[in-house]
Amino acid sequence: MRKKKGFGLLAKQEAAGWGFLAPASLLIFIMSFYPMVQAFITSLKTGSSANLQWAEPLFKNYTRMFKDKVFMTSMGNTFLYLLIQVPIMLVLAILLAQLLNNKDLKFRGLFRTLIFLPCATALVSYALIFKTLFATEGLINAFLKGIGIIKENVNWLGQSGTAKAVIIIALLWRWTGYNMVFFLAGLQNIEYSVYEAANIDGASGWKTFWHITVPLLRPVIVMTGIMSINGTLQLFDESVNLTNGGPSNTTITMSHYIYNNSLGQGVANFGYASALAFVVFILVAILAFINMKVGDTRD
Amino acid sequence: MTKKIVALALALCMLLGVSAAMAEKLTVTYWDDNFNGNALRAAAEDYKANVDPEFELELVLVSGSSDVENSVTTAGSSGDFSNLSDIVLFQDHWIQRFVSDYPAAWLDLEDAGINWDDFGAEKLSYSVVGGKHYGVPVDNGTSIMAYRVDILEQCGYKIEDMKGITWDKFLEIGKEVYAKTGKALLSMDGSGNDLPYMMMQAEGESQFKDGKAFIAGNEKLTRIITLLCDMVKEHVLILANDWTGYTNETIQQDQVAGVFNGNWIIPTMSQVADNAGKWQITTIPTLDGGEGYAANGGSSLYVTSNCKNPELAKKFLAYTFGGSMKTYDEALLKGGVIGCCLSAAKSEVYSAGVPFFNGQAVYSDIVEMGSHVPIVEQNDYHYTVRQYIGNAIQNILNGAEVGAALQEAQELIDFAMEQ
Repeated sequence: MRKKKGFGLLAKQEAAGWGFLAPASLLIFIMSFYPMVQAFITSLKTGSSANLQWAEPLFKNYTRMFKDKVFMTSMGNTFLYLLIQVPIMLVLAILLAQLLNNKDLKFRGLFRTLIFLPCATALVSYALIFKTLFATEGLINAFLKGIGIIKENVNWLGQSGTAKAVIIIALLWRWTGYNMVFFLAGLQNIEYSVYEAANIDGASGWKTFWHITVPLLRPVIVMTGIMSINGTLQLFDESVNLTNGGPSNTTITMSHYIYNNSLGQGVANFGYASALAFVVFILVAILAFINMKVGDTRD
Repeated sequence: MTKKIVALALALCMLLGVSAAMAEKLTVTYWDDNFNGNALRAAAEDYKANVDPEFELELVLVSGSSDVENSVTTAGSSGDFSNLSDIVLFQDHWIQRFVSDYPAAWLDLEDAGINWDDFGAEKLSYSVVGGKHYGVPVDNGTSIMAYRVDILEQCGYKIEDMKGITWDKFLEIGKEVYAKTGKALLSMDGSGNDLPYMMMQAEGESQFKDGKAFIAGNEKLTRIITLLCDMVKEHVLILANDWTGYTNETIQQDQVAGVFNGNWIIPTMSQVADNAGKWQITTIPTLDGGEGYAANGGSSLYVTSNCKNPELAKKFLAYTFGGSMKTYDEALLKGGVIGCCLSAAKSEVYSAGVPFFNGQAVYSDIVEMGSHVPIVEQNDYHYTVRQYIGNAIQNILNGAEVGAALQEAQELIDFAMEQ
């Protein structure tokens, strides 16, 4: 049975490589790429969900969204959350990681666990807890009133400005610990001797952080950045559960609006919803591309 | 080979045996175990005891009415109805759209032998599509206007004084109530727009005209929205942030002296045992005086095309919710579900005085009120309009001018309605 003369060692290795890659690639293709193509096809159609027809003109759903005030609001909101929340979160995560990486710190494990714990809570339950905390008769109001900062109970979720702030605070609480874990992992990979050398050269703590830690963490920063941007652009649970997009759609996110167009309000406008989803997909791709270009140090 | 044939024959026998056992069984999807779940159990027991001892109703509980509606949308969009149960229960506002979008998903009930004249015309106006009956009404959506009699008394009013008044008078009384007791006379889910819809219906008007939204330049609606905003400013109306805020805070934390909604709100009110005997209900105020009637919500049972035994499903529905006093009595006693059949609601259970409502026979009153509700133009975009009217109210309270806010709502709704 020794027939396989044509297979050299290299070819065998290559075949093994493909063998390992194939299952995952196949799954990604079926679960991700195929739906993407289907979504694009659906986005060119219109009509009742059981009887979709090609739109006339073909890109009607795409031109329609530029006249859609609610979609514009949702896009504005999503980018507002993105621009405020992601930088704060990443900076906080790096600082926390740096603090908790200190070898002399007691109960390190405990602190790490505690900070990571929020992201182990279910999205819906944490949103509901924040909702109760920030209710008009909730704990936050009672506390602020108790220490004399406010005189009357604030309707946090009933006003557009404060409702947005609550969403951002909730996001920070939930995701900072999650990103911190990546930075911690990144910090473990930096040789301690590098810091020792810097110490001997007389570099201050801040200088060490800025000139050693941050550059060496760059790949992790790029990765967490892409993940956070991606996650924020697809923000859904907080908008649905905390504010339900309100008051008067001023806190709605793009994903929430897509949901409203497909199932949320029974409208079943799948063509338009797919077109919106495709735009979000393109936005994520563009931002991830920029992020990777900026973060890439290879010349 | 013979073995194979024998095996096949055996398998076939088993299959037939199973389907024979399943012949008397129906499945139904519903969403509120304490409410419509009890009504369905009452109907199943009734049918089993009086018609067919072999009958079995399998109840499939989902967590909210939107889950039922989403399952219909999903099944309808894929054209695969095999996951739908034999009968589904959902809110009345959906059926028009569901029949027009997914006509193959439903079986009409024309030959079920139900006496449709025995039901309120307004309730049936939802479930009749293209002249055909599709649904058997379960719970009655007739609105009640409930007042705290003890609080009215403190301000020198009786429940009779509230009958047939104008909304302006209501506002005036509301101001007195707030000044004397610190309570509002009304509350609403600020994102839900229940009140404008019901108030319009009490006027016999709709938020739609000839299949289009009729918001901007709608004189009655403009008056109603202006009035509601005035009420909020005068502390007569509390706008809750969401539904739970409405039920759990404004009603159950005793912040209001009046409740105006579909009668399914009664179980929510009854949770506050301390207020037993202090409530009574009457008809709705109107803009120019006179008694108003409206309805909000309520659901019906619909037979899907996936039903394995349509004859049984029709017989079951016709016998029970089609007019069996026993089903109606048990559904009311166990689930607080007020039915829609006029003759079945003449029972002793329905006409008994209710202690929570100061001995008033609210159930028969509600069924009677239901027969007066005017039919107004309905539309598939019911909930879209509700949402944007709710938004308009928020915008007006934040300083926008009424006409401009309604104009904006009109544009947004028109945009959503054009495909």
